Amino acid sequence: MLFSLIGKQIKMLIRNKQPLIILLVMPIVLITILSLALAGIMDNGAEEAIQARLVLVDESTWEQEKVTIQEFLEKEGITGPPLEALLTQIENNNPIQILENNILASNEIEKYISVEHKQPKDLDTIRQDKEVDGILTVRPSFRLNYVKSAYFDKKVEPNLDLYLSQENEIRASIIQSVISEWQYGFTQSLALSKAGLSIEEVMENTKRVEKVEQVLEDHEREIPSSIYYTVGMLVMFALYVPAFLAGFALQEVQWKVYDRIILAGISSTLYALSIFITGTLVALVQQIIMLSYGKFALKIEWIGLEGMIDIVLSYSVFVGGLAALLTTLQFRSKSDGILNAFTGFIVSIFAFLGGSFINIGDISETLANIGDFTPNGAAMTAILSIQKGQEIAVIWPYMAVLYGYVSLCVLLAIVLFPRRGVTV
Amino acid sequence: MLQAINLHKKFKTKEVVRQVNMQLEAGESVGLIGPNGAGKSTTISMLSSLIIPTSGDVEWQGASITKNPESLRKVLGIVPQEIALYPELSARENLAFFGRIYGLKGPTLNERIEEVLQKIGLTDRQKDIVKTFSGGMKRRLNIGAALLHKPSILIMDEPTVGIDPQSRAYILDTVKQLVEEGMTLLYTSHYMEEVELLCDKIYIMDQGAIIAYGTKDELKSLVSDNQTIELKARILSTIFESALIDQFPKATVRKEEDLLTITMPKSEEPLATIFAIAANNDVMITSAIVKIPTLEDVFLNLTGRALRD
Repeated sequence: MLFSLIGKQIKMLIRNKQPLIILLVMPIVLITILSLALAGIMDNGAEEAIQARLVLVDESTWEQEKVTIQEFLEKEGITGPPLEALLTQIENNNPIQILENNILASNEIEKYISVEHKQPKDLDTIRQDKEVDGILTVRPSFRLNYVKSAYFDKKVEPNLDLYLSQENEIRASIIQSVISEWQYGFTQSLALSKAGLSIEEVMENTKRVEKVEQVLEDHEREIPSSIYYTVGMLVMFALYVPAFLAGFALQEVQWKVYDRIILAGISSTLYALSIFITGTLVALVQQIIMLSYGKFALKIEWIGLEGMIDIVLSYSVFVGGLAALLTTLQFRSKSDGILNAFTGFIVSIFAFLGGSFINIGDISETLANIGDFTPNGAAMTAILSIQKGQEIAVIWPYMAVLYGYVSLCVLLAIVLFPRRGVTV
Repeated sequence: MLQAINLHKKFKTKEVVRQVNMQLEAGESVGLIGPNGAGKSTTISMLSSLIIPTSGDVEWQGASITKNPESLRKVLGIVPQEIALYPELSARENLAFFGRIYGLKGPTLNERIEEVLQKIGLTDRQKDIVKTFSGGMKRRLNIGAALLHKPSILIMDEPTVGIDPQSRAYILDTVKQLVEEGMTLLYTSHYMEEVELLCDKIYIMDQGAIIAYGTKDELKSLVSDNQTIELKARILSTIFESALIDQFPKATVRKEEDLLTITMPKSEEPLATIFAIAANNDVMITSAIVKIPTLEDVFLNLTGRALRD
């Protein structure tokens, strides 16, 4: 029975053009227009991508250094097959090799750092490129010096230069954290390799990924207009879902279909529950579509998946509760006056206070605080906090606001929903 | 047996239904007639347990349905005056939905949908969206939706409002067939001829109260025991008039141009005799209408107003 009621309500929504236009087309159009129109004002040069661009400039190569390393080893009295074996081991396990093939090429790090190889002659040009977040220059004789210090305890240091751009602090920090960890790893390996521990074991990846995540947590990501308005429209237009469902419910009463439903033995509680679940499902699907549009059309990288799931699900549950309450109030008033007031006035006020169109905090701190107590405002602030890279714990107060509204809506719907037929 | 006992309904200060007593026996077809706003729909809503009476009670099989309506609802089919369907769904989807909420599913549901579609003549249009249907087709589907769970009592509220004569005839045939199959029917309409065609017993309602009830003949007898015959002929002679009066001494004959109006007791069967007298007097009758009092006349007589006023 419940599934029949939900299925029927979803079919009614899908087969009507107006809900589809208002719930999907309008927000997508507004997201696109506002994102593009206000990008110049809001973005402040900040980029939404968090993948750092690292240029690797190797002033030498294995092939070039191999000869000098071989000569050094022979001088140290290593010849014949042991020499060949050691050369092979050095080729495969030297820090540059590990950095390029094991660390930067790993799936975990590839998400955060893209690597390009350039020649030393390009260094000046690369330094002018504002898109480049870091340049790692491997000095000549790096490999030879590494062999000398790692295998023969000579007092020479393998030299590296790391240049970090000031353009984007987060991305530069990501590069710095990975390279520092790598440097720490191979410095340790100089000592540990003597104790028989392989360099790869010393320089395993996990710690570096943690470091990158730590960097993301420590730095607030700039919120560009595309993210701001995708979230703003998402929370605002979800409020129209209850309006449509309550509107259909009133039509059911006016058409006397509701009488048929009640006569068939469907309890008013089950009917209200079907509205609640439909509202939740539709809002969830609507939000997923909006977020997907942001991801694929506007190239937004949504971060903090766990927090996002929590917020989107909770907001959907609130929308479901609101749908049940609006339906109840319409059944009580037996007219669409409440619905008109909700769509024409309350949604606009909530959207304004919640910051769907402008960051209300820029106008008044008090209004922004009030806005955080509207359901859409709470959801929006929670999503934006997650998108700034803040910890998930920051959303709990907003979730409390949302679930406060859910409880209120459900409670009122339970108390006020007409138990018998509704006459108009 | 479904029985309304002193039903009374007040909306705020307005009395909509006043002390209504009605009775529906199994297999009986009962008509409820009255002008718009007479309180028919409110009475039906109380009888079907959708609204609670301000006072009085409705009993089904001897038990009150006010507090426990489930036993009645299971066996009740309602055809409201409104098109109680989802216009965005197809005919089949509508029937499937209403079938499912009555607990039908799987092959049983499909079988019932097929039967109902056949009964209402919409098998060929079952996949079409309801909003594309004509008024008559929507009305037929409106009836179909009430029949899915095989109710034993069918309450129909103005089921033929606003449709073409062809669809109306189809619906009346369908309802007649249902009555013949043993369905208990409560039929409201302000089309007297429909109620006369379908119903054994008729309640006449006005301003919230039942003002008369009985069989058709019983109600019509309230108006008059006479019948009126209107004759038109090429040449109406005074000899013909005298011959008629000689033959029907209790009759009164009135002549206006080419129209002769004869009023006589209902018990007499006059037409054959009148034609014989006309032939003997070389009068060629061009039309003969036997006017029997209608329910419309009954209502007019009881309230002083026409039913459609």
